[in-house]
Parts: sequence; structure tokens; C-alpha cells
Amino acid sequence: MSDQCTPSEHTFSRRQILGSLAGAAGISGLGGLLQPVVANEIAKNDKQVLFVWLDGAISQLESWDPKPNTRFGGPFRSIPTAIPGYHVSELMPRLAKLTNCLTIVRNMHTQDNSHSGGVPRILRGDPANRGVEYPYFGSAVAKLMGSGESGLPPYVWIKPGSGGFMPKNAGFLGPKFGALAFGDGKPPENFTRPDFLTKERDELRQQLRQRLSDRYATRRRKTANEAQSFVYDMAQKLMARTDLFDTTKLPQRDLDRYGRTELGQHMLVARNMLEAGVRFVQVTSYGWDTHGDHFNGSASLIPKFDMALASILEDLRERGMLDNVLVVAMSEFGRTPRINGHHGRDHYPEAWSLAMAGAGVVPGAVIGETDKEGVNVNSPQGYDIGNVFHTWYHALGIDSRREEFYNADQPLPIAHHEMHPIKEALA
Amino acid sequence: MCPVRNVLYWLALLPGIAFAETSLHEQIDALIDTKAKDLPRAEIADDAEFFRRANLDFAGVIPSAEQTLAFLADQTPVKREQAIDALLAGPRYAQTMRERFHIHIMERRGDSEHWLTWLEKSFEANKPWDHMAREIVRADFRDEPNRGAAFFYSKRLEKYGTNPIDYPGVTRDVGRMFLGIDLQCAQCHDHLIIDDYKQQDFHGIFSAISKLQLLRDAEYPGVEEQLMTAKQEFASVFDGEPHEVGPKLPGLDEVDLATFDKGEEYQQSPDRKTKTPGVPKFSPLDEFSKQIANAPPFASNIVNRVWFLMMGRGLVMPMDNFHSQNPASHPALLDLLATEFKSHGYDFKWLFREMALTETYQRSSRLPNGVDRVPGDRFVVAIERRLSAEQLLWSTLRAVGVKPDDAPLENVDEKDDSEEFVGLKQRFVDALGNDPKSPEREFSPSLKAALFVMNDDEVLKLLRRDDALPAKLAVESDDAKVANALFLNIFSRAASEADRSDVAKHLSGFKGRRAEGIAEITWAMLAGTEFVVNH
Repeated sequence: MSDQCTPSEHTFSRRQILGSLAGAAGISGLGGLLQPVVANEIAKNDKQVLFVWLDGAISQLESWDPKPNTRFGGPFRSIPTAIPGYHVSELMPRLAKLTNCLTIVRNMHTQDNSHSGGVPRILRGDPANRGVEYPYFGSAVAKLMGSGESGLPPYVWIKPGSGGFMPKNAGFLGPKFGALAFGDGKPPENFTRPDFLTKERDELRQQLRQRLSDRYATRRRKTANEAQSFVYDMAQKLMARTDLFDTTKLPQRDLDRYGRTELGQHMLVARNMLEAGVRFVQVTSYGWDTHGDHFNGSASLIPKFDMALASILEDLRERGMLDNVLVVAMSEFGRTPRINGHHGRDHYPEAWSLAMAGAGVVPGAVIGETDKEGVNVNSPQGYDIGNVFHTWYHALGIDSRREEFYNADQPLPIAHHEMHPIKEALA
Repeated sequence: MCPVRNVLYWLALLPGIAFAETSLHEQIDALIDTKAKDLPRAEIADDAEFFRRANLDFAGVIPSAEQTLAFLADQTPVKREQAIDALLAGPRYAQTMRERFHIHIMERRGDSEHWLTWLEKSFEANKPWDHMAREIVRADFRDEPNRGAAFFYSKRLEKYGTNPIDYPGVTRDVGRMFLGIDLQCAQCHDHLIIDDYKQQDFHGIFSAISKLQLLRDAEYPGVEEQLMTAKQEFASVFDGEPHEVGPKLPGLDEVDLATFDKGEEYQQSPDRKTKTPGVPKFSPLDEFSKQIANAPPFASNIVNRVWFLMMGRGLVMPMDNFHSQNPASHPALLDLLATEFKSHGYDFKWLFREMALTETYQRSSRLPNGVDRVPGDRFVVAIERRLSAEQLLWSTLRAVGVKPDDAPLENVDEKDDSEEFVGLKQRFVDALGNDPKSPEREFSPSLKAALFVMNDDEVLKLLRRDDALPAKLAVESDDAKVANALFLNIFSRAASEADRSDVAKHLSGFKGRRAEGIAEITWAMLAGTEFVVNH
């Protein structure tokens, strides 16, 4: 691990503790050996996810897998990165300096080349068809890991356009594991307290609601009142944190670094959310489907992505959060090496790239490669999205071979049952 | 718990002994009792809990303060039975059943005046379930009074975006709603886990469903059948071996295809020019409609669903998973209910009445002393049930005593099409109902619903109106009397000492602004767990 990607000293590192103790006494005795506070720290899984989705599909050739001076290479040069011998497109100068924090998979090979099929397929991990709609990754994490200590909604989605409750993302898990979307940094409906009600009076009425409900629930089954109380608590916690998504209050200095762009702003909101403890934060950027005028499009889009992602990676690293936060940046597929008649690149699931960081994926790993012109993956078959889902779950401390969802009473694997994690990506 | 009754019940089952008079509700209790063995039972609910529960079930709304007071004061020993009879005969029964069955059958896919009217009129006339099922399955657009029933198909056959028409989904729902079997996983092969569900079962229904087309240009929901000239072909994805099946309901014989000479196939020929839909001489839907009530789980399925509506949990769970490896929690009870419902001509009012008369229905949701968990599938403690958006809307209006417009409230009648009212109803459904296609079965509070109740302008405005309960109570200076009125109007019960003390304490912070203080207590009660479930 290079110096640049070391988490700051003061941060609690789960692996360090486990490592040192394992050497001394063996893993099995761990529970008894640790101070209670440390034991709790380990028992509680506080891993988080930042999921950056470039909708329409970023070109691997203009980002993680450039092929300059080849038939399909396009006009941009490649530049050296923090990893000796590995080059990225010149459109990503800041991410180039951070490749030692990243895990880059260059041999993605997936099944669907349409947006309507590809987006849900990729976001669901393309499990074997069992006649049910699988949850998107964010909903799956919400279900498997819950809100955690923050008590905030576990799956938050920051996106351009409209927001609201997005139950469909949850598939068969049911609407409560859907995304809460903040469209353009705006809150969902009914988010603001009515004018006539002060914060103090709101608290009073909530306390009374809770007291009456708790009294009702004594000598009754606990579940109904707990569920009702839970959503009211969550609503109040969220309303108390309007600062988290108010784009008008973002710090100017950070805006300069992240970029005064939609994606830059939204990435800053994402940082707020992650700091506040939201389990899964998805940031979506639209407009990447460059079938025409692809090179001008890339020259405009990719530097915005470069600024925003590099900035949040720097900040997460500086705050010591990269140990806990799994960062993913990807699309539904890549773009064709062949350049079409409109100076565009089309959809290409055969050979494309994605980037990850944090939460124990191997920093500085560049996995797989494509052939000289980027047409095929060089390794036998490349990795499918099912492999990637297994990898993510492992990084989050979830045993993807054993954990199961339940659809009614039917157990279903959380990731494609015939696939395995990308072992080069996991320490 | 009730050994005498138990003995009577078992005696009644012995042939030749004349205990035929043992009513269904007593037999239900005996079976529940036997199975519960020595599990502690909840007490019988007090009058207020019972009365609220029955009103929500049969009138779709909490009782008014006057009704509750009158019921509590009534000294007649058979007052519960009388109350049940009055509710079943009451003005809101048909509308309430319409709402409940609409949600249950259509699963929030959307509305249609024709469908809702058909449902309501059916319950108004206490139409037998087999007739209702037949009308839905037949979906005959020529049958004018019943054509609204076609909405079951027509809504599900609508196209969404570029998705193909969901014939498999309609096939699945015919199985789910009428037979309690979910054949979704038997479309491409025999069901992998449930041995009873065969691919042939799916395609037997699918053969007819896939011939349906939406009626274009009709002002009512409707479908027409295309000619069926060949059997449905299918093959398992595992062995690829070709099979075929004609119209066939699970557990019943395949219907023979009737064939006609070319030009002779139609009773009524389709004519696109005059927009006349066709009616084939051979109608698989007609065959299905005649047979559906004979398909094995038909009666069990509906009594299981009614049991769920009344008791909060089906005897067979999940309700769409009737099969031999998934027995009912009380198999004898399920059989008894099915047999009796059938022999009583699928008479809903009779079944509701019998269920409501059981001790099982009338038990409290309070746990017995010293017990903190009991299994839900033994029915020894009442299960807290989800209230629909509609039940919550009506109950909120009745509790607060106003409507968003100035229409009269007496019957909390929904035949009100003012913009304010329709708008409010829609807001309730949007915030508190499930999303389309998602069955509303469990109490599952959501963040969206909480934010709605906390902050929605229209809801909060109701509480602050001059003619609403809080403003009316503000003139009362005695805090205890205010508390009594609030608990009677909103929780449909008398206030306890602790309740009164909470009210007084809250109001002490609202000197000179009493109406506001009471409005906030009202809100805390409406948002509270006690209000939002049927307990």
C-alpha cells in the first residue's frame, strides 16, 4: 500500500486489530480478549457504500482503458498514473494520481447491450432468473445491513430531476427497501415542517405521540408499535438534517474542488450523507450515451467526473473513511471500440471497465486487460456483474455464498449462485 | 380452555348424533381451542375494543363518539350480536366490502367506476362468491349489469411503455385470486420446489388468457376473446420436449376444443368498422366460468382470504401458496369453513357474521398477563391489522368531525365528488397505500406515510378548522373533560387516568391557545399506533 492511500493514523482499523490479536491468541478467543467497547466496534458492521452511476455509459477508452494510437483509439492521449506502467486517459488527470487507491477492473464482460435491459440487469447483479424481480444493489444493502446507528434512511439516491420514494428499486424485497431520492438536492414531498409549527412544538407533539403509543403497546406484541415508531424517528432525524442535501449551503472552497457542476454538487451532498452515516448513497449522472459527437461529449463529461470523484476520494481518505466506505464508479456497459459514422461510440457489454475503492478492496490493483484495440477481454471470459456483486458483498463483510434473501418462504441467493468474487480485488 | 364446548364439538362430528345445531362459530372456537392446547389466551376484548374492531371491519370507519357511548351503555346481553347484525345490514357495509375487496383483488393497480360499482352492487345484493367469481372470470361485455367485472382482466392487460402485454401476469392472478395458487414459477417448467404446481397448470389457464384483447373504443372495461383454434404449445426449458394443452383449470379436466367451419366460428362476428367486438362460439372463458367453483381450492381459497381479512393472518400462509406441502395451520378448520361456506351458498354475510361471533375474533389484542410473545398462527391473541388508506381517511374525518369541503359527515359518505374531497382521498391513497401490484397485507409503516401525517398541509388544516373537534373542545375549561372527549372521539374508548394526566400536562403549555394545544394532542393521537391499526 503506498503512502498516499494510507488511512490516517487515528482511525480505527478493523483489520489491524484483528491482525495483531490473531497473531497473539488466535481468532477464536477474540470475543473474550477484547475490551467491550472494541468488541462492539467489531460486531457492528458500519461499512457504507458510495455508488456512482454514469447513466448511458462512460467509454472505457476515454477513461480507464485507453488505446491511444490504435485504429479505434480516438483523439485523446493517455497519461501515466500513480501505478507505474498503468495509464489512463488524459481526461482524468486527478484520478490518475489516485489510482493507487483504486481497484480497476478492465475485463468486464456482460450480457445486455440495451439500456432498458442493461441498467436493471447490472444493478440487480444479473442473478439467474427465478421469476422474481431482484432488488437493486442499494436495496439489497439496505435489507442486509439496515440503517445502522445513524437511523437515517439506508438507501439514499442523489440524482438530477425528480426525487421521491423509489419503491421499484427494491424488487421483491418490498417498497420499504426502495430508494429515497433527492432530485436536484430537493427533498421529497412533505419534508418541511408546516409554518405554524415551531421545532419545539413539533417535538412536544412527537413526544406525546410516542408516550401514548408506548402506553398502548404495553402488554401488546411489540412489532406494530416498533415499526410505527421507527419510521417516525427516521422522519424526524432526516428533517433535522436538511443541511445534508441543501445544495445552496455547500462550502465554496469544496465546490471549487468538486466542480461547480451538477455532479460536483451532488457528490458533495453524497459526502455529507456518508459523514452522517447513511448506509448506501447512490449518485447518478445522466447524459453519457454518446452515440454522436462522442469525443466532444467525453471532453466535457469526463473531466467533471474526474473532479468530483477524485475530490470525494481525497476527502474520504483524509477523514479515514476509506476503510469503511466502498466506492464504486460504473455504468451499465462500456462503449464500442468501433467509432460510428456520427463520431460516436455505441453500446458495448463485451469488454469494459469499472473502478472501486475502499472497504478492503485491494488499493492499486488493475485487474484484467483487453486486447490491443480494446475489442475483447484477454483473460478467458472476463468478469460478469455477478462476480462483481460477490466482490462487493465480501468487501462489506457479507458472505455472499451463504446469505440469502427470502421471497415469501423461498430462500434465494443474494448474488449469482454460479459465480464467485474477483479474488484479485480482495485482500 | 373450554372443555365442554370441545366435547360438544367432537360429539357433533359423530354420525347419527343430533348436534347439527352446533353453530359454525362454536365449531371454529372449538378447533382453535384444541390446537392452542395450553397456550395462554388473551381475554375477550372489552366492549370498546370489540366495537371499534367490528366497525372498522364492516363499516370501514371507527364508530362515532355517540355510537360508542350508546354501545358501552347498552345492557343487553346479546348486544355484540346485535351490533354485528346492524353493521352487516348497515349503510356502509357494501361500500366497505367494495373497498376491501378492491384493494385485495386489484392490488392498487387503478380504479374504474364500472368495476367499483359492480363490486358494491354485488355486496349490496349479497351476491354469492361463486357468482362473483364467475362474472369476473367470464368478463362478458354483453352482460351489461356485470360488465364492470372485466376490469380484473382489462386493467392487467394494459400496456406499460414498451413492455409486452402481461398475459403471464394475468394467468398468475387468476390462479392466485380464485384458487390460491401462484403458478408464476411454473411458466417455464414444473415448479421446482412445489411439486403440485405443473407447467401444464400454467398453460391450461394461459391458453385462454393469451387469447384476450382489450376492447378498444369501449366506455367500460372490457375484453374480447380471439378464436382458439389450436391448443397451447409449451415445452420445459429443461428438456425442451413439446407439450400442448387446451383450456384447463388446475385439478380439472381439459376442455375439448370445439371447431367450426371457416366463417362459422362466431356467435357475433367482429366488425372493426362498426366497432363490434367478436364473440366466438367456443369461449374458453365461458368454460372456465362454469368450472371455476369446482376447481379444488376454490372454496378454501376464499375462506382463507376472508379469515385473513377478519383475523389478520391466513390459515394458509402465504395465501397464494395452497399445495400439499404447505398445510393450513388448522387443516380441519379450513375444511370446515370451506364446506360450510359452500353449503351456505357462498353467502358472505353469513360467513362474516359467524366469524365475528367467534371468541377467536372477539379476543383482545392485549397479551395475557406475564406473556410477552405468542405465535401468530394459533389465534389466541388478536393480531393487530393494517388499516387501509380508505379506512384511515374515513376514520380521521370521523374523529375530527369534518370533511375537507362542507359536505355532511353523518355517514362519512364517499359519494362526494368535490375537488377538495377527491384530492384528499387521493393524497391518503398515495401516501398510505402500497404501490401498484404490491398486496397490502401486513401493517408496514413507511417513511413516506410518516412524513405525510407529520407535514401534509391538507391533513393539518383539517385539525385546525373552526368547526373541527379541537376548536369545539377549546371552550371546555376542564382538562379532564377535554381528555374524555378526545379519547372517545379518536380512540373510541374511555380515557384512562394516565391519558387524562398526559392531556392536562400538554395543555398546561398552551395557556390562552387551547385550540392549538388540543389540535396537537389530536395529531399525536391520529399519528399514534393505537389509531393506525385495527387492534
